[in-house]
Amino acid sequence: MSTLQAIQQQMLEAVLAAKTAPLPPIRSDAIADAHSRLAIYQHGYRIRLRDALKNEFAGLQCLAGRGFDALLDAYVETHPSGHYNIRWYGAGLANFLQGAHSDRPQLSEMARLDWAISTVFDATDEASLGMAELASIPPDAWAGLRLLPQANLHTLDCAYNVDAFRRAADRGEARPHLRRYARPRRQLVWRQAMSVHYRRLDEDEWQVLAAARRGETFATLCAILAERHGETAAMGRMVGLLQAWAGAGLLRGLG
Amino acid sequence: MDATTSQDCPLTLTLSPGGERESAFAMSHAMTATRPDSLPYLGYGLGLRVDHYEALLAKPAQVQWLEVVSENYMVDGGLPLVWLERFRERYPLVMHGVSMSIGSTDPLDEDYLARLAALAQRVEPAWVSDHLCWTGVQGVNLHDLMPLPYTEEALNHVVSRVQRVQDKLKRRILLENVSSYVSFAQSQLTEWEFLAEVAGRADCLILLDINNVHVSATNHGFSALDYLHGIPVSRVQQFHLAGYEQGEQLIIDTHDAAVSNAVWDLYVQAVRRFGRVSTMIERDDHFPPLPELIAELEHARALAEPLLKDAA
Repeated sequence: MSTLQAIQQQMLEAVLAAKTAPLPPIRSDAIADAHSRLAIYQHGYRIRLRDALKNEFAGLQCLAGRGFDALLDAYVETHPSGHYNIRWYGAGLANFLQGAHSDRPQLSEMARLDWAISTVFDATDEASLGMAELASIPPDAWAGLRLLPQANLHTLDCAYNVDAFRRAADRGEARPHLRRYARPRRQLVWRQAMSVHYRRLDEDEWQVLAAARRGETFATLCAILAERHGETAAMGRMVGLLQAWAGAGLLRGLG
Repeated sequence: MDATTSQDCPLTLTLSPGGERESAFAMSHAMTATRPDSLPYLGYGLGLRVDHYEALLAKPAQVQWLEVVSENYMVDGGLPLVWLERFRERYPLVMHGVSMSIGSTDPLDEDYLARLAALAQRVEPAWVSDHLCWTGVQGVNLHDLMPLPYTEEALNHVVSRVQRVQDKLKRRILLENVSSYVSFAQSQLTEWEFLAEVAGRADCLILLDINNVHVSATNHGFSALDYLHGIPVSRVQQFHLAGYEQGEQLIIDTHDAAVSNAVWDLYVQAVRRFGRVSTMIERDDHFPPLPELIAELEHARALAEPLLKDAA
């Protein structure tokens, strides 16, 4: 190991481990001793990572309240950053919370919704299919068509009303009450043009959207709805979904 | 380009710290010196931050150019790139990175460099800069600008990596001096000697952060004027001006406050030595309304222009 490697290794360990690591070869002088000098880097490291997380997890902050900083600090102490952009540091927070706070699953659920919102924000730009393009498709071509949803949309299973906490944070409203659903609900996160959106998905919409993402044909999507609603009602529901999806920019094209 | 430290050094070695006569001589040289690759002089600019997006779209006349943080726009899509294009239409831009980690003993991050090169191709900045530091090792990023030991070993290491980056980007880069709170027992050179040697041997340019010079000089007890006089005039392409926070023992480079009087004084000395250099106010937190930053920029102009006019 070269001298430069050794110094960098020692500094890294000293910054990460705070008080437990050996002191690197830092000069002390009349202005400040080595420990005081090192402490600035140790302190700054933790502040920077915590601030980066705060930027990305507004819903979690609302949900965790006064315990928010302690959650973040525990993550910072156990998870060094591996990405050159500090904006990606939060990628592992939801999994960390799932393991460290298995008795409070709402925390990891909230973190997943926050992170989905964050990643959609600067995901790859995609084309958007409008109603006019759908209306121009000949009737006999529909059955074999494949609707292509945005590749960057996210669907999440939620056992709690975590979206209400994120919404309260976004709007600066009072903290809502936590509720656990009798059955998990699905949350959709996507971007339309430059705006990020999230909303709940009805069970049938989630099934059809999931099928479309798997590449199923339009006929199959209709069959899924028919099984739930009957043949007659299914077509009306499908038209309603198409209008909603096209209006919200959820479709990027046809296959 | 075959500029070397030995070509730059005769001037710097004749100077003694702080002397008016010597400074005047240096300035006269700076007025006539050809900067190594003739990058443009951009005037007075600001660091582009989200808080000022809307206000800067109006293109206030006092702001002649903008510096963007490269990593903020090394993304796949979305609003950041839309905003970037809006500013690209209105201002000359330069790119300033924080994660190249040019001094790290980890291999250069090829993915990072590829994204940086792609962004530079898109933005067509007047120049690309980063810091003379390391930000992590063994795959861990400390997200801090860590100082190097100023040794021959570190010098050779950094020089070879700067050359590789410049080959990859197909342009010369600027390296900025960082604020530091530690120095290492192994150091054999002063920081300014190290910076000057890197610039000369790697044939890169220098972004001189006047605030960082002041912070490090105060924290390590060296002369900021010695520092300025140790930097080759022809290598300095850009100035940063920023504010700091007074800690208990050391001063902390927060870049979140107004430029201090001490840094303004040092800026005057820097203008005397280096002449007409593109200058910007860099604020990273506690963002005031844009007019406050513009007032600081105007103060920089008011300090520099009479000196530059006298020397012309």
